[in-house]
Amino acid sequence: MISTILLFTTVLSTVSGRLDTAGSAVQRFAQTIGGTARRRVLLPIGRALDRLLAPVDRAFEPASNAYNRLLGPYFGAMTGLQFALILVSVVALLTAGVWAPAVGPLVGGGLLRTLALASIWAIFAMSWDIQSGYTGYISFGHSVLSGAAGYTTALLIVHVDPELSIWITGPLSVLAALVVGLLVALPTLRLEGPYFSLITFVAVLLFYRLTTAYGWLGGIPGFGDPDVFTWDPVVRYYYMVIPMLLIALALTFMARSNLGMILVAIRENEAAVSAAGINPTKFKIWSFALSSIPMGIGGVLLVGFTGNVDPDTFVIVDNSIEMIAMAVIGGMSSILGPLGGAFFFEFLNHQIFHGFSTPVRYLFLWGLVLLVLVFARDGLFRMIWHRLGAVRGESE
Amino acid sequence: MLGDIGTLVLQGAMISAVYALIAIGFTMIFGVGGILNLAHGALIMAGAYLFAILVRETTVSWISIHPVIAFPLAVLGIAGLSWGLYQGLVRWVEENVVITFLATVVVAVASTELVIYWFGSSPIGMTLIGGAINLEPYGFNARPRYVEFAGFVVSWIVIGLLWYYITNTDDGRSILAASMSERGAQLTGVDLHSVRSKTWLIAGALAGIAGIFLGSTGSATPLMWLNPLALAFIIVVIGGIGSIKGSVIAAYFIGFLEQFTVTFIGQGFRGILSLVVLVLFLLLLPQGLYGREFVHD
Repeated sequence: MISTILLFTTVLSTVSGRLDTAGSAVQRFAQTIGGTARRRVLLPIGRALDRLLAPVDRAFEPASNAYNRLLGPYFGAMTGLQFALILVSVVALLTAGVWAPAVGPLVGGGLLRTLALASIWAIFAMSWDIQSGYTGYISFGHSVLSGAAGYTTALLIVHVDPELSIWITGPLSVLAALVVGLLVALPTLRLEGPYFSLITFVAVLLFYRLTTAYGWLGGIPGFGDPDVFTWDPVVRYYYMVIPMLLIALALTFMARSNLGMILVAIRENEAAVSAAGINPTKFKIWSFALSSIPMGIGGVLLVGFTGNVDPDTFVIVDNSIEMIAMAVIGGMSSILGPLGGAFFFEFLNHQIFHGFSTPVRYLFLWGLVLLVLVFARDGLFRMIWHRLGAVRGESE
Repeated sequence: MLGDIGTLVLQGAMISAVYALIAIGFTMIFGVGGILNLAHGALIMAGAYLFAILVRETTVSWISIHPVIAFPLAVLGIAGLSWGLYQGLVRWVEENVVITFLATVVVAVASTELVIYWFGSSPIGMTLIGGAINLEPYGFNARPRYVEFAGFVVSWIVIGLLWYYITNTDDGRSILAASMSERGAQLTGVDLHSVRSKTWLIAGALAGIAGIFLGSTGSATPLMWLNPLALAFIIVVIGGIGSIKGSVIAAYFIGFLEQFTVTFIGQGFRGILSLVVLVLFLLLLPQGLYGREFVHD
């Protein structure tokens, strides 16, 4: 046995040396290929795009200038093209009830359902991002917050009164999410980077174990008692998308205010923040509160969407990681990034990869997330956004 | 009562031995590269499944190797996989802690889907060594299996070898040096990249061994990476990050604590007591038992 293991160690270290040499050759080769591709393909395409999009940019400039004067200081300034993109997206989302049933069959059907689901996940991804993306305190436990809201709704309906209206259960559930959020925040925010992340990770595992260990929390099947909001797909979609847009608006406002700036400063250099006389802990707690409330709203919406509260829909760690994945794909530490990322992720998941089994779909998606992490750290939507902003060579 | 305590000691010692292997690999990578490898649990899972492929006739119909040969093969395979993970992914992003973190956790979640895709979601059983001994004539109400003894013995052999390698060979001492001060190590001519590759190889081998024993005492399931990862973290925090001695001691502490909870309080509380201990340590003794302040350079 001993000799076998000693033999391993020797073999392993020799092999690793050889492979390292091979690895650096591959690396050089990849760099050459990448450089050529950039010069021959990407740059010409970029120039062509610039030529095509510049007139659009010019056309929307008066509108965007008016917006910049009025609302720019609160929600951030935009160029003509960026303004056009936002305008088209918002109009498209608000009119989806009309066009989605017609377009749906072309992309696998059920488009309205996907869009509604994407709205809920967009809320989650944005909430995660205002806390983790902005402050750099990566939470792996955000599904616990939406879970707290979902379970509060279910428990109120099951144990208090089945006839309770959403106007009572909803606010109480959001409050529960806030309380749980602060309960997690207060002890853990004393911790730094990896410690914080791992303890939130352990918190999800613990919460999951609690839901399955205790009968009154419903166990694996959970609760089927809460009613869905409505069975009409069009109305259901609007129940999801309008809160989402309002939350996006509110969070963008917060992120563009001094608060957002302090949160980013905490991520960049926490010591400098406290040296400037600002108490970072106070602002980290604010970011947690700011994150818990929309998480709670998202949780309530998810109950209204599925009508079932169980560990697999609300708690499992994969949920938390899915939120992170969406924020990463779209672009961390922005609000519109995670929003776009959530829609992109869900659209791929439920429409494009429609025909594959669940594990295969998720393998594709996780692979995509890895590619974005390695090659486009700022995220796809942030990249597009900045590219649009630079079409006429103004910024960057 | 006496029998209960006997069982507790026996089972606690055996499970702790495997926990120690898991935590040492995790702490080595963190100590040397400053990288938290959240895919560590996935490597453990890979160890269990690779071993299952090699020894069972039913997993892959044309492979069925004797466990004694399959064991080193599986360990080598996982060491290689771990090395590949470092070279293929982690080294490209390692300068950014947050991105490394996210990338490894995505690998872990993707591995669950891969396992479900290949093997389905039902548990897979496997045997390293069959059989058990009955201790009832000696007053213990326990039937420890031979594989559990093997796990205990192999764990200590591996830890001993690793200790020898790290403290008595130049190769190993470069790992130790890199974990103390990267700049100091570089100044004395240590190639940091190759040291990191080596730690990933060793951590992978340890995770492979742990995975095989976890799979052979329980079974292999697609979600089996979650608990070992959480355990590794708890143990490493208690033992002190980067310390092998601390990891071993903390692994036994947590192993016995869990066994104690299961025997005297109830299965449902298995992780909770460990978590309480974790929180206490984080608040009162954040550097752990044998931790040292990191030398910032």
